[in-house]
Amino acid sequence: MHLTDERLNEYLDNETADKAGIEAHLHSCKKCAARLSDLQSLFADLDSLPDVELSANIAARFSPRPSLILQPPRWLTLTTTLQAAAALTALVVAAPFFSIMLSQIETPSFTTLLLQLQTRWTMFLNALSALAANPVEEFQLPITDYPLPIAELSALFIPLAVVSIFWVLGNGWLLRNQNR
Amino acid sequence: MTAPADRDLILRARRGETEAYGELVARHQTNVFNVCYRMLHNRHDAEDLAQEAFIRALDRLHTFDPEREFGPWIRRVATNLCLNHLEAQKPTAPLDEERDEDKTQSPGEQAEVKERSEQIRAALASLPPRYRVVVELRHYQDLSYDEIAKELSLPLSDVKSHLFRARKLLAEKLHAPD
Ligand SMILES: [Zn+2]
Repeated sequence: MHLTDERLNEYLDNETADKAGIEAHLHSCKKCAARLSDLQSLFADLDSLPDVELSANIAARFSPRPSLILQPPRWLTLTTTLQAAAALTALVVAAPFFSIMLSQIETPSFTTLLLQLQTRWTMFLNALSALAANPVEEFQLPITDYPLPIAELSALFIPLAVVSIFWVLGNGWLLRNQNR
Repeated sequence: MTAPADRDLILRARRGETEAYGELVARHQTNVFNVCYRMLHNRHDAEDLAQEAFIRALDRLHTFDPEREFGPWIRRVATNLCLNHLEAQKPTAPLDEERDEDKTQSPGEQAEVKERSEQIRAALASLPPRYRVVVELRHYQDLSYDEIAKELSLPLSDVKSHLFRARKLLAEKLHAPD
């Protein structure tokens, strides 16, 4: 009896337990030997298939490219640096003026400030209740005739300048960190 | 200095080092692409699915045992993706028109080799996806019957019948008397 296709396949795949038996038959049977030879040539054909070259570089899609890293454009970095430098210069130049102005400003004590705020709040409430009692009467906030203690224009500039400097420096620092 | 082993690259990639994974992809991309190209017989789709295989593998990298070999694993991931891709397609899709034809004609023997490769690829592409995948796993990835059965979640008998029938069909296509 000839070898089945299954046994020939298993023999070539090295998946048979009866290697000796199959080989004995192949020695004595030209027909099965020819079938085996056909199957072997198919294996050889499949083995001969060459690898083809990959035209695209898939790996590049996984490696971070420098341009993909969050990097602020050069002009922005430059602007931020210039801004910071300008702010620092301004601070240095303004420092003597600030000291003069600061000495001129009357800085009332915290208690005085609280008292003033309280007074103003009471007046505001009074005005509101007056408005509620007599809505026809023209309403006027009583604040206008009361001078603010430190609301000098110059005094507003100082915190503003300081805040700007911190903002600019902070921005620069954040951008620098993002570069990494 | 020797190049780091795949194992080291995997460990580094698991810690989030993108460059390490890029290096791993660079090492295996040609092999993985060739798996997909044999399965799909279309360069464009093969590139897409090879990339997809690396994305899937990256997602599952934390479950991968780095003591195992990465190459065989990623090729099996790609094989399964291609099988799913083929099975999701309509069987009547006009695939044949899209398939790559080797239009480049190099002189002499090289042309003959190319022609033969093209015949083999075309014969593979003519097989049903289930047959194609067992041929790929047995002949190009050297898996045993048992390993193929496990990989495809098929009974051993199905693996054998698919493989043997696939070979019969291939032989008919390739060894037909001219
Ligand atoms: Zn015989």
